[in-house]
Parts: sequence; C-alpha cells; structure tokens
Amino acid sequence: MTATDEARIGVYVCHCGFNIAATVDVEAVRDIAAGQPGVVMARDYEFMCSNAGQDLIKRDIEENGVNRVVVAACSPLMHEPTFRAAGEEAGLNPYLVHIANIREQCAWVHQNRVAATAKAESLVNGAVARVALHEPLEATYADVNPTTLVVGGGIAGIQAALDISDAGNEVYVVERQSTIGGMMARFDKTFPTLDCAACILTPKMVSADRRDNIHLVTNAEVEAVDGFVGNFTVRVREKARFVTVDCTSCGECVTVCPVTVPDPFDEYMSTRTAIHKAFPQAIPSTYTIDRQGKPPCMEACPIHQNAAGYVSLIAEGRFAEAAKLIRRQNPLPFICGRVCYSPCEDACSRTLVEEPVAIRSLKRFAMDWEREHEPEPVPEAPEHDYSEKVAVVGSGPAGLTCAFDLAKEGYKVTVFEKHDRLGGMLAVGLPTYRCPRPVVDRDIDYIKRMGVDMRTGTELGRDFTLDELTNGAPGYEYSAVFVAVGAQEGIALDIPNEDAEGVVTGIDYLRNLNLDLPQETGPRVAVVGGGNTALDAARAARREGAEVTVLYRRTRAEMPAEEDEFDDAVAEGVRFEYLVAPVEVLVTDGRVRGLECVTMELGETDGSGRPRPVPIEGSNHEREFDTVIAAISQHPDQDWSNTPAGEPTVLTFSRWGTVEVDPDSLQSTIPNVFAGGDAVLGPATVVEAMGQGRRAAEAIDKHLRGLPLDGFTSHMPSPDPRYGFEERPYAQSPEYADIEKAPRATMPKRPVDIRVTDYDEVDLGFSEEEARSEAQRCLHCGVCVECHACDDVCAPKAIDLDMEDTLTTLEVGQIMVATGFKTFDATRMTPYGYGRYPNVVTSLEFERMLNSTGPTGGKVLMANGEEPRAIGIVHCVGSRDEHFNRYCSRVCCMAALKFAHLAIERTDADVYQFYIDMRAFGKGYEEFYSRVLHEGSTVIRGKVAEIVPSLSSNGDEPHLIIRAEDTLIGRFREIPVDMAVLCSALEPQADAEEMGRVFSLSRSPDGFFLERHPKLDPVGTTTDGVYIAGCSQGPKDIPDTVAQAQASAARILALIGRGEVLIDPVRATVNEALCGGCKTCLSLCPYTAITFDEEKEVAVVNEALCKGCGTCVAACPASAITGAGFTDDQILAELTGLLAPVGTR
Amino acid sequence: MAVAIEHEASIDAPAVKEWQPRIIAFLCNWCSYTGADLAGISRIQWDPSVSIVRVMCSGRMDPTFVAKAFELGADGVIISGCHPGDCHYQEGNYKTLRRVHLLKRLVAGFGIDAERIRLVWVSASEGDQWAETANDMAREIRSLGPLRLQT
Repeated sequence: MTATDEARIGVYVCHCGFNIAATVDVEAVRDIAAGQPGVVMARDYEFMCSNAGQDLIKRDIEENGVNRVVVAACSPLMHEPTFRAAGEEAGLNPYLVHIANIREQCAWVHQNRVAATAKAESLVNGAVARVALHEPLEATYADVNPTTLVVGGGIAGIQAALDISDAGNEVYVVERQSTIGGMMARFDKTFPTLDCAACILTPKMVSADRRDNIHLVTNAEVEAVDGFVGNFTVRVREKARFVTVDCTSCGECVTVCPVTVPDPFDEYMSTRTAIHKAFPQAIPSTYTIDRQGKPPCMEACPIHQNAAGYVSLIAEGRFAEAAKLIRRQNPLPFICGRVCYSPCEDACSRTLVEEPVAIRSLKRFAMDWEREHEPEPVPEAPEHDYSEKVAVVGSGPAGLTCAFDLAKEGYKVTVFEKHDRLGGMLAVGLPTYRCPRPVVDRDIDYIKRMGVDMRTGTELGRDFTLDELTNGAPGYEYSAVFVAVGAQEGIALDIPNEDAEGVVTGIDYLRNLNLDLPQETGPRVAVVGGGNTALDAARAARREGAEVTVLYRRTRAEMPAEEDEFDDAVAEGVRFEYLVAPVEVLVTDGRVRGLECVTMELGETDGSGRPRPVPIEGSNHEREFDTVIAAISQHPDQDWSNTPAGEPTVLTFSRWGTVEVDPDSLQSTIPNVFAGGDAVLGPATVVEAMGQGRRAAEAIDKHLRGLPLDGFTSHMPSPDPRYGFEERPYAQSPEYADIEKAPRATMPKRPVDIRVTDYDEVDLGFSEEEARSEAQRCLHCGVCVECHACDDVCAPKAIDLDMEDTLTTLEVGQIMVATGFKTFDATRMTPYGYGRYPNVVTSLEFERMLNSTGPTGGKVLMANGEEPRAIGIVHCVGSRDEHFNRYCSRVCCMAALKFAHLAIERTDADVYQFYIDMRAFGKGYEEFYSRVLHEGSTVIRGKVAEIVPSLSSNGDEPHLIIRAEDTLIGRFREIPVDMAVLCSALEPQADAEEMGRVFSLSRSPDGFFLERHPKLDPVGTTTDGVYIAGCSQGPKDIPDTVAQAQASAARILALIGRGEVLIDPVRATVNEALCGGCKTCLSLCPYTAITFDEEKEVAVVNEALCKGCGTCVAACPASAITGAGFTDDQILAELTGLLAPVGTR
Repeated sequence: MAVAIEHEASIDAPAVKEWQPRIIAFLCNWCSYTGADLAGISRIQWDPSVSIVRVMCSGRMDPTFVAKAFELGADGVIISGCHPGDCHYQEGNYKTLRRVHLLKRLVAGFGIDAERIRLVWVSASEGDQWAETANDMAREIRSLGPLRLQT
C-alpha cells in the first residue's frame, strides 16, 4: 500500500467497561466519526483491547478494505502496541494505526458528559484527519549487546548481577563506595528471621567477586550515558584509591597511618585511619586511602613539602620518621626550619579555627631532634645511574636544590661557588643569630654525601666561561648547566657622596661580617630600607654595639620585612623612623658624618600596589650618623656572562638585570642552559629560590632524557591552595566553627640583653611535649597527609599516591539502577534532641552498635560506656509526617521490633516502642510482632511529642524523658529512659536528581525514581533498557529489594534472549530538493546526527544517530526536513480535525 | 449512518449557553504527556476546553502550528515539555524556550495577546501540576475572551 491509495478509515470507539462509557457517549462519538471524510467503518465495542475487539479491526482490514485505523480508547502509552500488532497481523502496516486518547485525557478527567463527549468527538476527528495522511513506516531492528551494567553494589545490584551472569552474560557493577555490600553490610540481624546480615550477604559478595564474568568497579560513578536500549555507551569514573590490586590486605599500613578520622561506616561513632578497609569482609579487599584533595600547606609550598605529613608524624611522637620525610623533599631542611617565610602557614586551614599550626617551628624541631639522635643521616641511593654530568653555578638555595634533585635522580653534579664558603646568600647574607653556621653546614654536608661535587673559589666568568661549560671544553664536559648566581649586588641609593667612607650596602655589610672580612661599625648606624636584608643588617649592627636607626620612606604597613623579624628587631632596641628618606650623604674629610633627609607623605598607589612616598617640600633636615647601611634592594651582576669582545651575547637579560628564561621550564635562550633563583626572580626568599631549583632539575632531567619541555608546569605553588570544602577540613569532619580552639605554641627566645651581645641563635626551639601538642592542632585537611608511612611498610609495594582517576567507557545493552537510599537527618526533628543529647541515637547508629564489628563490639552502651536501664524506640521519625516525608518508610516498624528483640536479648533494659500504626504486613512479620510483645517489650501507640533531659529526684542520674500521648488509653505519658532510638525515614539519595538525569529517569514527587507503571511495570522506566530496583525506587525491605532485583534481571535476560530490539522509525529525513543549505539544523541536533554535504550543499541526517525528537523539523525554514510519524501535514491535519466545530459536518 | 447531535454552544453544561474556549496543548511524549496521563489515572479533573496533541519533544513545536491553531479557531495554546535539564532529547526544551519567547513577541505584533501562548514544564510525575496548568489556562482564556482574528 502507498500513501497515494485512497484512505479507507476504520474508527473503533472503546467503552472500556464503564471507564469511558460512563462519561462519554460512545455511540455519539462513533456516529460523528462515521460522518468524517474517508471513514468507511465506525464501531463501538465494550473492550477493544480484548481478543474479540482486536478481531473487529482485523476483520475490517481483511474483509472490508480498511487501510487506516483509529482506536479511540486509553492512552497510546498503554495499548498502542496492542492495536498496531493487531493491524499488522491483518496485513496492515502498524504505523497506519493511530490512537485517540479518550480515557486518561478525557473520560477520566471530566465529569460533564456533554462536554466530555464533545471533546472525545474532537479528539477522534483529529485522529481521523491525521491518520488519513499516515504513511507506512518500516521499523528497524538493532542487536542487543548482552553485556549489562548494574549501578549500585548493594544487595539489589549483587543479586541482579549474579542472576544475569548465571545465564552466561558479562556484568559490570559500578559502586560508589570502596566495597560492594551497600547498606545491608552495615546491618546486624535481619527481621523477621533474625538471620545475621553478614552471614547471608557475604557469600553473595564473594560469589560476585569470584565470577569471571562479573566486573566489580568500586569507588566509581557513572558520569554519562549515551545511546539507546541494546546499545548504551556509559562513561565511568573510577576514583583513584591509591592502592593497587597488589594489596594483600595484610593491614600493616593501618598500624602506621598517623591520621585518624571519624568512620562513616560506623556512623561516625568510631574512627579509622586514612588508609582503610570499610569492614573486614569488604569486597574487593584492597585497601583505600581516603584522600579528599591535597593539603593546602603542601599546595602553597614552592617545593611542595608535605607539611601535613611530618606534622602528623610529630603529633604521634615519631620524630625520626618526620625528619626522614622532611629530607625526602627538602635539601635544606635545617635552614627552612629557621628562615622560611612559611607560605604553608598562610594557607593552613587551622587559621579558620584560630591560628595556623606553627609548621616552620615544627620542622625545626624535627631536624634538631635528628641532629641530636642521628649525627650522620645517610642519603638513599639514587634512582638511576645516568652518565650525563650537570654543572650548577652558585651554591645558594636554588643551586643546592637543583643539585640535590639531580643527584637523587642519578646525575653527576658539580657545583661551582665563587666564595670560599658554600651556601650563597645562606652563607654570606644570613646572620648566624637566625641560622647558625653549623646548621647551614649540616644541610650542605648531606648534599655532599649524595655525591655532589662542590668546588669553592671558582667563579664563572673569571675561572671559566659559560661557553666552556656549555660546549664541553676539556675538564668541563657537562650536558646541561643551571645558572643560579643569585642577586648579590646591592643597589646604590643614588644620592650625592654615596662613595664616602662609612657608606656600605646591606648585603656587603652582612657578607663582611659573615666572612670575617674587615668591616667597621660606627656607634651611630643608619639603615636605609625596610626589607629583610635591612632588618638583618640592623640587628647585626646592634650586635656590633651600635645604636641603630632604620629609615624607611613609607610606613610600617608597607614594610616588606616579616612580622617576626620586625618584632625581634624592636625587642633588640632597633629604632624605626618612617616616612623619611636620605637625599645626600653629609661628609667630613671623605667620611660620613650624617645624612640630609627629607620627610615624605604617602601619595597615590604605584605599580607595586603600595602608596608612593612623596617628599614634602622644605622638610629637609640633617641627621648625624657614623655608618650608613644602604639596604634598599639587590640585583644580579652580569659579569659572569661576559663573552669575548665582538661576539654577540647569547643569553638575554631583563631591564632589572635578571636572566630571561621560559617561566615554566626555566630554559634560557641556550637550550642546555637553565637559570633560576634570584638570578631570574630578583631578590626573593629562600624557599622560592628552592622551588626554582626543583623546577630546573625536573626540566633538565626531561631535557636530558630527550622529552619535550612544552607545557611544563611542574612544581608551581598553587595560587589558591585553600582546600575544596569551605566550612570543614574534610567531608566527615565537624565544621571549623565547632572545632575546639587551641592556641598556637610559640618558641621561647633567649633574653634580649644577652642575645644582642653575641651571634648565637635567638630562638630556642620546642620541647618534645610542646612539639607534639602543637602538631596535634593539625586538622588533616583532605584526610591523607601524604606522609608515605604506609608506603614504607607495604611489602607488596601496593601504595601509589600518584594514582589518578580512570575514565572508562563501557558498551552495554541494558542498565539496572539500584543506587539505594540515604537516611533522614534526625537533627531536623528538633524536639527529639538528636545531636544535642548524646544518648539519642538513630536507627543506623543503634544498628552499628549491635553489630559485632561495630564501635561497641555488639554491646548496647550509652555515651558514658554504661548499659542503659531503659530504651525508648521511636517510630516514624521523618516518615508519615507532613513536615518532612508524607510516605511510610515501610521498614522501620519491623526494624524497631528487631531492635527491641535484640535489646531484650543483650541487656537488662526495659524496652518501650512508640508507634503510630504497627505495620507488620510481610510473611512472618505479624508473628514476629507477637513474639516481641511476648518477650516483654512495651508498645505505646502515639507519636512522640518530645524528648527532654531530666535528673532523678535526688538530683543525679541524668536520663531522658520521652513525652507522648498514648492514644489507646487517651492519656499523656512521660516515660523515663536512658537511651532513645530514632527510626529515621528512608529518603532518596542526595544526588538522585543528578543520577536521574544521567540515566534519563523520572522521579515521583517524593524524589524516588519513577517506575514505568506502579502496578504492572514496577521495575521498568520510561527509558527503554533502563530498570530500577531496591530503595532507589522507594523504601522497601530486603526481601522486596531482592525480588525487584530478580525481576529486573529477568527483564534484562528476556531482551538478551531475544537478541534484537525494535528501533522506532520516527526519524528525520532531508528533502534535498528543498534544502537551502542554511545549516540551521546542524547546531540544533544534540546527537550530531546532522552533517553537511559540502558537495551537494545540503544537510544530511544520519538515521542511526537520529532519535526522532523533531527539533530540526520544527526549525527548518524551508520545511525540507520531514519527521516520520509526526510530519507537518499530519499535525496540521490533526489540528484541523480537533478544531472543526463538532457535529456540523 | 451519522446521528446528528446538537453540539453548538453545548460544550459545557447544556443549560449554560455561554461561550466556551478552545485550547490546544502540545505535550512532549516523555514527560508532559505521561504527566497528563497520570492526572487521568489519578482522576484529577481538568477543564475539557483543553485538547492535547502529542509530539515526541516540545522541540518539535513549530511556530506554524501555533499560528495555524489560532487560525483554525483556538483561543489559546499550551506548550509543555520536560523540566530544564530533564529533556529526554537532552536539550529540545531549551530550543522551545527560545522559540516561544520570539513567538510571543511576534503574535503580539499581530494583535494577539501573548498570554494566549503559555510554555510550561510538566514532568511525568506531575499529574496534579498538569491539571492545574490546564485549569489555570482555561481561566485565563475565559477572562481574555474569544480570539477574534482579523481576516
């Protein structure tokens, strides 16, 4: 048959018993239909869906030449397949059958018979007009991929997976937690049989694990689902668990992990370590590291020192391990423990409670402890043995870090230092009262023991040239060079008479003192500048016996010097004068006698973000000084880069004199020359220079291994190290506001009057007790502190802290969603006092208490560790309640009876139940109810009004009073108990909405996933090929959950057995003759099913990708796209029929 | 064969000979049509002046359909799709949203009150919301009165 055939339409109006006929005059509808153009047959019948009804249609097609069918009956979502099949059996193309919905959308929703009849007539008229234009369509079939995805590894998911795999099919089980087992794994006994939950669950878990055709993907979530029934493409993110499958589950790691956090598996009633296994029988048995992001202290550090790690070890008194951990990443741990500006402390989350943890002082403590207990720590052997040699020029923090990292990697490193003493600025610029000489030497000695060759007194540009280094001149066979010459040239004040005797730069002054070179300090010293060097020079001058005045041109607020140093300087008697600047050195006989100064005021903000100091006219005044120390800034000298006259300089320099390099890889314009530290940054801090050294080492390693340096961003301190959770340090922690405050410890210092007389260290360090208690202030942001303790003890070497999430794409035919529930947050029910009174517990907490592997080892105990004398079990908390959830959670009555039984069995307590209605509807449930009553549990029918604390008459023995109306005796009652158990409602998972979107599932008003039909299709969904089971569909107990899981499995197996799935022919096609090539449709298609044929300049629809939504059809300005089954003509005809005045044609 | 029944002006109670509006509703197959069916299953009553045309996606709604409906005598048009983010076809409802904004401005230019077009989101579980939408639209159109197109 073709569309050109004359339409001979048969109309069949169904009474549906009384369902339609009671409201719609079906005979009248039939008669109106009979008068419509093209209608050759109009009938009404009591039940069109019956065999007899279908036979009417078939007979009319076969005997009366009907070639179009309209059935006016129930919704097409109910019986369209039935009637299409009937037509097909009689030889009619099924798409020539159309349904007019006169039941759900007419008879059932209107009461006025006349109005309902008129509307039914219109609906039939519309259908008749439409069906006349229907064309035969050919459905296609697609193969069904037998591999199935089960989402959720609770008892529903496990059961379905077992059933489906039993039939020989592959099953993927994606589970969010680190173990399968779901909620059931946390239960103790199950009602009404009192089976041990674990005893009946774990064999199934083990079985699922053992089967070759079940693939457990734990710690994972489904991110996206694409495709259609039979052929879904699913993207799964398996979160890194940081432990590989090599884990033998020996549990050694747990004994060394320094972090303990509340355990969600035990409802936070017990603690577990960061590396953990959810419960003893967990499947897979591989341990998992709870790692919720990186600690901010580590993220903020330019060398990524894992401060949280050593702090946690110190808290446990494991000082040697702490020191070892520090050494792992830090080549200059002693120095950093004293002079680092500690960006880690700025990032520390403890600031959100009160003050940051004293991280730098704790590092110093750990290293001092090491010095006392281990005189010569031995470095680990290098990871490789490379033949390449690398030259490092400069032995400051940048150079030493680079040398340390490269030596650790296995390169032969030579460090060239122009001074006779190693350490760069650490040796010449750092006063010993801040960082004693032996401390610097200890750090450098350790690097020497790693095999780094240190050559002092050899200067680049004087003893050898850059050219010699880079081109492998004899004696200088180096594959790469790291230039870290620092910025050691003090910048002059640029005022008259600056070259007078008695004027010195800050850096020269400190160097002369440090290297015991001649340096005179007069009785009155002026230090010009406000940075750390200025303060170091000032404090050093105090120790030389001078009266010291710091002249700074801005105010204290703009001063770059660190807070601690400033405080120490003030304590030591250094005087500060602000808003003053020298304009001329006053000289007598070529010697300083003072400074002519000018007073400043603060003007507008300059390029550095600070207000610009502006001289006040006429404020010039003279000051008397014997020595002037100019410490305003430093810059690198460039003498070392001198190339022979006439040759071009190959390195390039900025206008500040710093070497220009790639900011990420630190590679210079010469490919095998890298530069870093102050030579690149300008004067910066120790740890910033170290960060540069580390980055250079990594880049040099890559360069020497022949790897590209593009996109090199390693070891950048994070610009915003703050941890992801805003109100708490990790997911299961209390909020910052609720964490008990503990003040930050401060190190004792030597008395001021003594310390200004010598160069001995000012700060005295922590005692062991002080260090431990300070370290215990660490909040363990993100849980794992990366201390590597587990790594050190793991025999099979299964720890992999570098593990990343894996994204997998699965091809599956069908999907079962069994994502379970969450429990009602009982704190919302404020009159019951949960969260305020420690002995008000939730059902899940009580369940864990009863479990032999739970927090109390199976004993019912109050917060004080005693057994309760009376227990009140409160039903319907958050269920059957207008304020929270109107529905019944279905499991609580029986769970409460189970609790009563177990409490009676295990304690001497009196047990009371407060219920609204006792729902014991399942097999054996009523009998269990009777049994518990006979065991002596008291039941009181009435909703609990409130739970309040109380004391006994003699004023002690605190307990709780449960207040409720006993509706059976009509009296208000107050029952004293020691413990109240709240049977919390079952609620949809917090992310049910998002999951619903991923799987295209609708949700009922209560938020649970919506089944296709509440009675006849309780496991199907509106998305073909996606099924639901268990509590994600609604609250239910274990037997019902398992039944639904098995029902889903049966449905899945049925389709696998059939092997193919019908693809609806509702598809878009492009009429090439009409297509103008405007490409409007291309961007509209969410499935990218439309492409553009550049040759023909027309749009082309890929039928395999098209889902038939019709969005492109509606948008085509040329009406060139046709949507089969829903063409413009068909819909316009339906409108014409619908809107025609009824009964007048 | 046809039995003549007097239908003119008798769409509502036959005793009341007042004007009854005619409203066409385009409902997407996956959310809104199923939601309207749910209203039926739950016997939630709604105004019989609303008749539903099923389309696979609200994105199939061609502005021409609305124009044609008005031309053929409809007094109001409802377009209903899945809630934003819930579209069975990922984003068809967003396309509809854009079109309806434009369409409302366009019909206003032709002297048709833009309130005669209403775009709503009704999910498969929102039978009561569908009934409320239909009733509310019927009330609105009754207060606006019949659409008189100048032809």
